[in-house]
Amino acid sequence: MHDKTKRGRGRLRGLAGALVLALAIALAGAAALPDEAFALTTNKATARPNEDGGDGVIGGIATRLTWEGTVADGEELSSITLTLPDDASFADSTTRVTVLDGLNRINQDSTVSASGNSLTVDFASPIPADSLLRLEVEGMTFPSEGGDYVVSGSYVNDQGTQQLQDSPAISVIANTPLQQAVDWLDGQAWVAAWNANPFLGMFFRPQLLLTSFASLAPGWVLCLVIVLVAYPFAILLGLVAAFMKISRHRLLRAIAIVYINILRGTPLFLQIYIMFFGLPMVGVNINNNVLGVIVMAINSSAYLAEIFRAGIESIPRGQYEAAASLGMNHMQTMVSVILPQTVRRVIPTVTSDFITSYKDTSLLSSVGVMELMMFSKNLTTVTGNITPYMAAAIFYLIVTLPLIKVVGIVEKNLARSERGGGPRPKAQAAGRASEQGGDDEGLEVAGSSHAEASDADELPGALRALVAPFCAHNTFGGMADAE
Amino acid sequence: MPSKHKLGAAASIEVPPALPADEAARLAFEHDRALTRHHFEEGEHPVVRIEHLNKTFDGATQVLRDVNLDVWPGEVVVVLGPSGSGKSTMLRCINLLEKPTAGHILIEDKEITGSAKTDVNKLRQNLGMVFQSFNLFPHLTAKQNVMIGQTKVLKKDKAEAAREAERQLEAVGLLDRADFKPAQLSGGQQQRVAIARAVAMHPDVLLFDEPTSALDPELVRGVLDVMRDLAENGGMTMIVVTHEMGFAREVADRVVFMEGGVVVEQGLPEKVFDHPENARTAEFLGSID
Repeated sequence: MHDKTKRGRGRLRGLAGALVLALAIALAGAAALPDEAFALTTNKATARPNEDGGDGVIGGIATRLTWEGTVADGEELSSITLTLPDDASFADSTTRVTVLDGLNRINQDSTVSASGNSLTVDFASPIPADSLLRLEVEGMTFPSEGGDYVVSGSYVNDQGTQQLQDSPAISVIANTPLQQAVDWLDGQAWVAAWNANPFLGMFFRPQLLLTSFASLAPGWVLCLVIVLVAYPFAILLGLVAAFMKISRHRLLRAIAIVYINILRGTPLFLQIYIMFFGLPMVGVNINNNVLGVIVMAINSSAYLAEIFRAGIESIPRGQYEAAASLGMNHMQTMVSVILPQTVRRVIPTVTSDFITSYKDTSLLSSVGVMELMMFSKNLTTVTGNITPYMAAAIFYLIVTLPLIKVVGIVEKNLARSERGGGPRPKAQAAGRASEQGGDDEGLEVAGSSHAEASDADELPGALRALVAPFCAHNTFGGMADAE
Repeated sequence: MPSKHKLGAAASIEVPPALPADEAARLAFEHDRALTRHHFEEGEHPVVRIEHLNKTFDGATQVLRDVNLDVWPGEVVVVLGPSGSGKSTMLRCINLLEKPTAGHILIEDKEITGSAKTDVNKLRQNLGMVFQSFNLFPHLTAKQNVMIGQTKVLKKDKAEAAREAERQLEAVGLLDRADFKPAQLSGGQQQRVAIARAVAMHPDVLLFDEPTSALDPELVRGVLDVMRDLAENGGMTMIVVTHEMGFAREVADRVVFMEGGVVVEQGLPEKVFDHPENARTAEFLGSID
């Protein structure tokens, strides 16, 4: 019966019909839930967006709250109080009260008193029934932490104080320090001037640079994770391939040469496509990030294999002969004599390769890995601004510049240690005996001056070999190799 | 004998089988008795026996031709000769850094050449070697260089190896340089560390391959002093390839002169130096002095 009424009248009588329908529904609702009857219905509660360049409402920043309600039939409203959760504030707000009876504005004297999170409007004379009440509270703020907020409260009619119907929730974005900084930038004259320059505004928009850093961070972390997880595997694979390539067995050599040459002879981009599109075709489905790690590891291993091979082959034959003449077998020679020296020699080259690998993770964006490049591409698409790419560049440089510096330092240290320069052990202080008489080759003995092994000897051998080039070259040695 | 063999000629070098130990010892005793200052008894066996040693490089260049030499325990043999005479190759054949093409090398009457199954690593533990270019391990300190063979090969524990290393470094006068890296040591000091490294393995024989040739003249003495001390006070059996005539004359029990891959002359130092029988020896010694 309800449905029939609704369809018939709604179509035929337009607005008037809709009003009656609303009334009918209200009556029906009142009949069904007598205790929950609202004499004052809340029509809407909204907040004006205060996000720069967006349509969000940010907590902690002044905004305008608009609340609308309809006074029901036979009611007279003398006072209304709006309440928000504790951290919201109506302090310093100004409220515009509008009462409409149909399309006519009714002049209604009212006093507004705001205190903390509640705002009370007292009317000099009650608002007539059926009228629409609109409160526009300018300069209020929502809580900084953000969330969904409901406007509640109470009103007073001739029957006393009643509970106000909850409004629909208003979504509020948390006001982070970043957001605050962006807002601060928004207010700066120099930022406006800066952005007025087409080049600066397009490539280095300060506000966007800030928000880019925040949005790109997860991509940057993924880049680092991919390359940091891939690299140890690449080093292992590379070592295996290097040893295969210098092996005496022709077959092992052949396998290594094919592996290395194919991987070095084709673009990483192509390898990524083959792996990411090829494997699913044959039913192998691997998580994108994991597959990214695998591709990067395999690709790097080929380059590392060549670096290691060259490093091993650069060790003079005399070292092998000296080890052999002590009775060392091939394994002992490799582990204790050749590899520790190789490690030191290849550290600069390996670091350079690491830098390349780190940068090359950007290629994974082409197959949907959510790394740095992907994030910045998306952000640029949304904002139509190049600044996110600049932020990505900065993220790459944060890692690569220090590493480039490290390569330089290590190379200098290695060169110096091969010349025999650098600081000398403390024990040498007592070694002045050797300078006596200007005869460096005298058979001096300074037994008491001998220093015990340094603290560095407590480090594991491999680690020590790794850090050795960063230290004064006498501090770390391969004592573990002699253990 | 032609000076150059054609490719593949190496395989055609035929040598008689190694002599039985007792017979070889008897013959060597008869042969060497008058050639060395070293005193040894009849019935003693040479520690190193080289019989009919031939070495050809790349199947074409023959650098050793039928070399025969016996070295007695405790003897110091100095091998002289112009460069290219094969003396270093002979030395390197003894610890199999070079593989002999034909002939026999026996260490303590055990053949290490030919079809004999030799544990090369075990063999080399007993044959210390000192190289012209020192070949210290640059990533290790002097002390670690001396320790590494003891710990890795002889499986001594670290403390014991360290004590031995300190003893040996003290013996070569470098205990105060124990924690220096090779690059921080002079050439002479490096070579003394290398000697300590070899001696710390307590080998039966020490092989010196031109140990002072890469040194500045003023650094040579220190190394030779260490070698002299080893020979005179350590009783070490030494085969020394060198150009140091003074050292040979003073320290050697026997001087061997090689040229063109052949042992041309050998004998007591004063005999070879003062009254060389061979014209080439005389010419060489004349040109050296």
